[in-house]
Amino acid sequence: MSDATNGISRRSVLKGAAIGGLGLAGGGSLLASCSSKKVTGDVHFTIRGNLSDAGSKINIAVNDAYTKKTGNKVISQAVNSDDFQNNFVQIMQGTPDDAFGWMAGWRTNARADAGLLADVSDQVTALGSSLSAAAIQGATNPSDGKQYIIPTTYYPWGLHYRKSTMTELGLNPESISTWDDLIKLCEATKKKGLVGYALGDKGGWEAMGTFDILNMRLNGYQFHIDLLNGKEKWTDAKVVDVFTHMGDLIPYMNKNVLDISWDGMRDLLLQKKCGAMMMGSWFANDFKAKSQADYDDLWIVPFPEINPEHGIDSIDAPLDGVSVAKNGKNPEGGADLAQFWGSKEGIDAAVAAGDTNIYISSDFDTSTYDAFNKQKLAVLGAAKNIGFFLDRDTRGDFAGPVVGPAIQSFLKNPKDLTKILDNTQAQWDALPAL
Amino acid sequence: MKSTAANKKVRSRRSLSRNDRFTLAAFIGIPTLMQIIFLWLPALITILLSFTYWNGINVGDIKWAGLANYKNIFFGTPVFYEALKNNVVWLLWFSFIATPLGILLAYQIDRKIKGHKIYETIFYIPVVLSLAIIGIIWNFMFQPGGFVQGIMGRDIGNAVSIWGNYHINTYVIMGVASWRHIGYIMLLYLAGLKSVDLSLREASAIDGATEWQTFRKIILPTMRPVNIIIVVITIIESLRAFDLVYIIYGTSTAWPLLNILVFQNFAGQGISMKGAAYAVILLILCVGPILAYLRTVFKEDLK
Amino acid sequence: MTSTMVVDAKYRDKQKVKDRFISAFIGFFAFVWIFPILWTIWTSLRPYNDIISYGVFSWPKHLNLDNYFTAFKKMGLTHYFLNTLYVTIPAVVLTLFLGSLIAFVVSRYSFRFNLSLLLLFTAGNMLPIVLTYIPVFWLYIKIGDLFGNRSLLYNNYLGIILVHVAFQVGFATFVLSSYMKTVPKEISESAIIDGASVFRHYWNVMLPLLRPPLAALGVLMSCWIYNDFFWALILMSQDSKRPVTSALRQLQGEYITDFNLLAAGAIIVAAPTVILFFVLRKQFVSGLTLGSTKG
Repeated sequence: MSDATNGISRRSVLKGAAIGGLGLAGGGSLLASCSSKKVTGDVHFTIRGNLSDAGSKINIAVNDAYTKKTGNKVISQAVNSDDFQNNFVQIMQGTPDDAFGWMAGWRTNARADAGLLADVSDQVTALGSSLSAAAIQGATNPSDGKQYIIPTTYYPWGLHYRKSTMTELGLNPESISTWDDLIKLCEATKKKGLVGYALGDKGGWEAMGTFDILNMRLNGYQFHIDLLNGKEKWTDAKVVDVFTHMGDLIPYMNKNVLDISWDGMRDLLLQKKCGAMMMGSWFANDFKAKSQADYDDLWIVPFPEINPEHGIDSIDAPLDGVSVAKNGKNPEGGADLAQFWGSKEGIDAAVAAGDTNIYISSDFDTSTYDAFNKQKLAVLGAAKNIGFFLDRDTRGDFAGPVVGPAIQSFLKNPKDLTKILDNTQAQWDALPAL
Repeated sequence: MKSTAANKKVRSRRSLSRNDRFTLAAFIGIPTLMQIIFLWLPALITILLSFTYWNGINVGDIKWAGLANYKNIFFGTPVFYEALKNNVVWLLWFSFIATPLGILLAYQIDRKIKGHKIYETIFYIPVVLSLAIIGIIWNFMFQPGGFVQGIMGRDIGNAVSIWGNYHINTYVIMGVASWRHIGYIMLLYLAGLKSVDLSLREASAIDGATEWQTFRKIILPTMRPVNIIIVVITIIESLRAFDLVYIIYGTSTAWPLLNILVFQNFAGQGISMKGAAYAVILLILCVGPILAYLRTVFKEDLK
Repeated sequence: MTSTMVVDAKYRDKQKVKDRFISAFIGFFAFVWIFPILWTIWTSLRPYNDIISYGVFSWPKHLNLDNYFTAFKKMGLTHYFLNTLYVTIPAVVLTLFLGSLIAFVVSRYSFRFNLSLLLLFTAGNMLPIVLTYIPVFWLYIKIGDLFGNRSLLYNNYLGIILVHVAFQVGFATFVLSSYMKTVPKEISESAIIDGASVFRHYWNVMLPLLRPPLAALGVLMSCWIYNDFFWALILMSQDSKRPVTSALRQLQGEYITDFNLLAAGAIIVAAPTVILFFVLRKQFVSGLTLGSTKG
């Protein structure tokens, strides 16, 4: 099966990234700015999203800044994100754009191993100490020790809520520190006629966030990563326990979990219809695009402790960045643009365009972060082990086709749990060697 | 008889010059070659790949797997049976509800009941719409904040589950699928009915036969060829069902169909040749109806 | 004699009542049928903010075509419509042309493999399309590399056109060959006696006779190819080359979806086939029925 180093080597490394982001490492900008030879030519860039959305506008702003700096034209196209991910292997084999926003972990490493992505180790080196050693390790493909993605941003998965809603309800989520507290919070929210724990899983991946955190809280990070890499069994009582806890949350969920996707969850929060929502913070850009007031109202706290042995020492914090296609027309240009994305100038352009992400580069002055971003860093800082999210921490032919439907089946009919877990394990066992 | 003899003469190869023979070869060769290269060859490749392990990228990585993918599907993948079940439900629904309804509608509209022209038009419209649009239209009806939820007084905070509610979503999907299928069947049948001798029907009415008797005794038997084709189309369409569900659920398997599984495994994020095996299973299921269809439409030629 | 007349009249009266009932019932059914479309149109005429502020069922404060203009501009619909045209027109013409070639040969010349050819083509039309998705992609890449231009077929209109042709030509062949069987053989005989070449026999004699089924098929296939959006997902890496039905996907999802805008987009994209259908209804219907009712 897939090599465990993938998971283990990354253990607690991104935590380092968080520290880097906090500004402990500095002075890397000198190296970054002395990139040697001049790269020319038009660069094609794929944006995952549609052209009118907030994220795409930020993408274009960064690309424009690059053009301004280098004189190289960037031709951006926006694509439906699901379609891009689903056809990724085909797109990369055909005539891909030179660079594109992408995600670290299995999705990058496996495709790099297959020769679809260009090595950007030189660019990572050029960015120098602005990238912490930990961030670099997080972006490194364990099978050859090279980087195939320029890490730019990351975000925590945590409990999101609206401060105003909680105030109206007379609740204080900051104080929830145990599982019982969480259930009480859900109970209280539900009593007021709101959704206690908002969840959508139509896309088949959204509920993986809840699974991940429950597994890490109950059984610890190591067990989680081992499970995803076949070293532990899905039939283990520990996994049953995870689902039992998920089952305990079902009464507080919206009744249409399998009807809505992540955007449906977001809308529940945006329109003040729910209490807590377990999600990655990236969606905050949409809040900001709606209005500053909505954005200021948004808050995040770590998922509470369940098992004292593990406390809140782990978190999913996916690393995003820019990758370069090997089959692009101008891979050199693509790599140069990717490097720009990771540099201070790139980040400045993104921030100026309203980006609410937190950056990996230590060149960015974190003191300028707004309150929400500082809270995100605090949430990340509370954890010492960092996962990438289930569909980046395990094989692509396992996450989507097997775990996704398994969680959906559980949400449909929790009583089938034993059967579901047996099947999940059987399907792992039947996977071909990589 | 005489015309057959004449045909022989017309067709005799003797009369063909070199040029003509070349033209004929091109006439047949070009389309056939295209058909083989872009249709049959890919199908054959898929069949072969279904016996391998591969991540779909480097040809050198292909490894022989024997029947492993099939074993995996039949014995280790519960979602396969769920998909099979949904395909069967689709088939049963189309066979016993949607198709008969389409036929009934055609029959009534053919009788030129009041308003038949406008009805006919209305039922045709969904037939010409893209599935991409049909998906959007029906989402407007069922999504949180949509029409049906609104009627029930639900906003997005307390929306009832429809697409994700496995007690009812099958019926909802069947309803939406029928929206198009019924019009299609009606269209086919109406054209057939135009050829039924009107006097037969009138005679039957004068004999005091009820509407149902007329339909059963006169219409159905005369429409036999159309009936067979409709049955086959219904079966094939049910097995090939895909677009609508893809538009609603994407490649997630909240309401799986064989075709969705093919797509999820064959083209999706975790590309594997299990997808090819799903495709072959689908093909095998389609072979029967395809042969039945061919036998019906080429009955005379096959003799 | 008279008694039959009485029975007849009585029967007719009863039938009239029944018919009214049936008509009302079908009318209700038809309303249910058309309602989702009417609802979509209604939604498209209202601004998003109205819905957000006052709910789906509120009395409209504003009704206008703003969403249509915005959708057209935002989606760059003109551009995507052109893409659709670039694919649809050549694909239909080529399909009809190739289909008529095969149909012509098998119905006018007796070769041993005539029937096998017909079977091959007709069966091809009924294959589950997913069976071929990925190999077609690989094939396109390989063929492209062979000619030193990867975009020869992949990410190119030509590639989409060719797959459409490969899939639809079976249906065209089938329909056209059954039609040609109804054309008297004498016409061919005289052509051959006049010493016409095979090509002239096809081009000057048969093709003009095929006008009705070609028109019918043309309408039908334009509609089918216009409506397809899957091939473009797999065979086009550049969004700007995809057809208008794919462009619609761009309006969906990612951002806080403006459903009213999406409704307008859907109506705009639906319009061409619906209009085509209303204008050329006869061809449309006969196209479908030619294929499936001719034995």
